[in-house]
Amino acid sequence: MRALIVEDDPTIADFVAKGLREAGFVVEVARDGDRGLQRAVSEPFDVAIVDVMLPGRDGLSLIDALRGRGIRTPVLILSAKRSVDDRVRGLQAGGDDYLTKPFAFAELLARVQALVRRASGAAEPTRLTVGDLTLDLLSREVERRGQRLDLRPREFSLLEYLMRHPGRVLSKTMILSHVWGYSFDPGTNVVDVLVSRLREKLDRPFDTPLLHTVRGVGYVLRPEP
Amino acid sequence: MTIRRAIGLRLALWYAGVFITSSIVLVALTYALLAASLRQRDQQIVASTLRDYAARYDAGGLPAVISAVELEQRTGSREQLFVRVLGPGRDALFLTMPRAYARFDVDGLETDADGIRAEPARDRTAVLEVATARLPDGTVLQVGKSSDNREQLLERFRRVMLIVSGLIILAGLAGGAVVTHSTLQPLRALASVVTRIAATGRTDARVPVPETNDAMEDLSRSFNTMLDRIDALMTAMRDSFDNVAHDLRTPMTRLRGLAERALADGSPAAAREALADCLEEAERMQAMLDTLMDISEAETGALRLAVTDVAIAPLVEEVRALYEDVADDKAVQLEAQAPPDLTVPADRDRLRQALANLVDNAVKYTPAGGRVTVTADRDNEGVAIRVADTGVGIAPGDRERVFDRLYRGDRSRSERGLGLGLSLVRAYVHAHHGRVTVEDNGGGGSVFTMWLPQE
Repeated sequence: MRALIVEDDPTIADFVAKGLREAGFVVEVARDGDRGLQRAVSEPFDVAIVDVMLPGRDGLSLIDALRGRGIRTPVLILSAKRSVDDRVRGLQAGGDDYLTKPFAFAELLARVQALVRRASGAAEPTRLTVGDLTLDLLSREVERRGQRLDLRPREFSLLEYLMRHPGRVLSKTMILSHVWGYSFDPGTNVVDVLVSRLREKLDRPFDTPLLHTVRGVGYVLRPEP
Repeated sequence: MTIRRAIGLRLALWYAGVFITSSIVLVALTYALLAASLRQRDQQIVASTLRDYAARYDAGGLPAVISAVELEQRTGSREQLFVRVLGPGRDALFLTMPRAYARFDVDGLETDADGIRAEPARDRTAVLEVATARLPDGTVLQVGKSSDNREQLLERFRRVMLIVSGLIILAGLAGGAVVTHSTLQPLRALASVVTRIAATGRTDARVPVPETNDAMEDLSRSFNTMLDRIDALMTAMRDSFDNVAHDLRTPMTRLRGLAERALADGSPAAAREALADCLEEAERMQAMLDTLMDISEAETGALRLAVTDVAIAPLVEEVRALYEDVADDKAVQLEAQAPPDLTVPADRDRLRQALANLVDNAVKYTPAGGRVTVTADRDNEGVAIRVADTGVGIAPGDRERVFDRLYRGDRSRSERGLGLGLSLVRAYVHAHHGRVTVEDNGGGGSVFTMWLPQE
C-alpha cells in the first residue's frame, strides 16, 4: 500500500507518516501543492492525504488538477475548517473523505483504510471473527466460545464496528457518528455508557477481556490484553 | 476632496448665476416699465396743454393763448414747454421755448399731421415730444416737451440700479457660497466621519442627521444604521473572541498543570498517566472550542441554517434513543412523545442538537427514580418542544442566567459539563427566531420550552 501525504506542517506530516508506516503503508511526503501534484501524477498511490491550506497550489486545486488528468486515487482531505460549506467544497473538488484538524490518528487511519478498501472493491465478508468471538452479519448472531450473546441493536452495531477494525483504536467521535449518526458532542458520554453495556455482555462472563479502553483516545477490540 | 470642491464650486456658480440673472431681468423690466410710463406722462402733459391752449385760442384767439403762456411762465408752477402758433401760411405767429430747447431743430418740425411725435435733438441726447393740432381756421398749434427731465430721472435710476446690480451679484455669489456650504455640510460631516473611521478603525462615531427631510437626511440615517450594524457585529465578534479566550484559559491551565506535575514526578507511569489526561483534556478543549464557535456563529448571525420542514416526532425519538442508555443507567425514566403530523421549518441538525442538549441537561440533573419527559405541541406562537424533569430544579434567581455561557448554578457544580449546552440551545433557537424559557415544574424540577415560529 502506497500513501502520499501532502502537508506543509512537518510535525503533522511526520506524525501521520509514522503512524501509516506502522500500519504497513509505504509513505511519501510532499511539502507543497505543486510537488504533491507532481508526485501524485508521476507515481501510483493507493491513497492520498491532502491538506487544504498549502503553500503554492492549494489542496482543492491539487485534487481538481488530479481529477482533471483522470487520476482516481482516493483522497482524504485534511482541513482546519469544520464548516459544512468547506466540507461540501472539498468533496465537490473530487475529494473522497474529509477530516477536520485536530484529529485522532486512529480516526485518520480508519478513514484511510476505508478509502483503500472501497477503491479496491474487496468483497464484503458475511462473518467477522476476532479471537474466540464471531459475529454473523446475516443472521445477526454473536457467539463467544460457542456461547450465544444476546445484544441489543445498538450494542450489535458497536460490536460490528469494532470487529471490522480489530486492533485499531476507535475514538468516541467515530463511534458516535457510526452508531448514532451524530457528528456533534452530545455532552454526557453516551458512548461510555454503551461501551460499558457491551462490555457487560461481552467480557464479564469470560476471563479474558476483548474490549479495551485506551485512555484519552478511545476503544479497541483485541484478543490478547 | 477635489471632487467635493468641484461640486461645491459648481453648485455655488449655478446658484449665483440663476440668482443674478433673474434679479437683472427684474431690474431691466422695472427700468423699461418706468421709462415707458415716464414717456407716457410727458405725452399726456403735452397733449393736455395742447388741448388747453386750443380751447383758449378758440375762445379768445392768439392773444388768449399768449397770455395763458405768459401766465404760466410767470407763475412757473410747471416746467416750461415749447409752444408755437403757426399761421395758415406756416409763418410763426408765436414761439416760446426754454433755452435748453435750442438743441432741437424746431423749424423742421412736422406741421401737417395731428398727433404726438418724438423729434430727436441734434445731439441725440434727448427727444422732443411734440403734440400738433390744426385748428379750424388753418392755424397750427404745437406744444412740445423735452425728455431731459425724465432722462435725468432715468439716469439717476440707472445709477442706483448699477449699484443695486453690483450688490445683487455680490449677494448672489455670497448666497451661492452659503447655500453650497450648508447643502454640502452633511456631506462634509459624512466624509469626515468616514475618514476618521478609515484612519482609526473605530466605528463609534456617528454622522449628525440634518432635519431637512431630504435625500441627505436619508443618506445620513442609512449611514448611521449601517454603522450601528457594523458596530453590533464588531462588538459581538470581539465579545466572543474575549469569551473564547477566557473560556479556554481554564482547560489550558489544567493541561499545563498536568504536564508540569508529570515532569516533576519523573516516573514513566506518571508520565503515561499525564499524557492520557492531557489527551482527554485536549479533547474537551476541542469540544469546547467547537461549541463556542457554534454559539458565536449563531449569535453573530453568521450561521447559515439549512431550513427544511422538520417532522418533530422522529426527531424527538432520535434524541430519546441517544440518551436512552444514559437515562437507564441512572435509573431515570426518559419518555418522549409528539403528534405524528407536527412539523416546523428548521435546520434539522441544529434543532436536534438543541433538543439533545436540553435532554442531556435534564437527565444529568435528575436523580435516580426521577423522570424526564419530552413533549411537543402547536400553539398560536408556533411549535413548542418541552423538556420537563423532576430534578433539583433551578432557583428563580438563576433562571435567566442558566443560558449564559459557562454559568453553572450552585446545585450543578458537582456535575461535570462544559457549561455551554444551554447557551448553544439559546443561540440556535434565537437563530431560528424562536425563544427558549425555563419554568418550575410544579413539584420540583424544571421545564425548558423551545418555541419555534411556524413561518
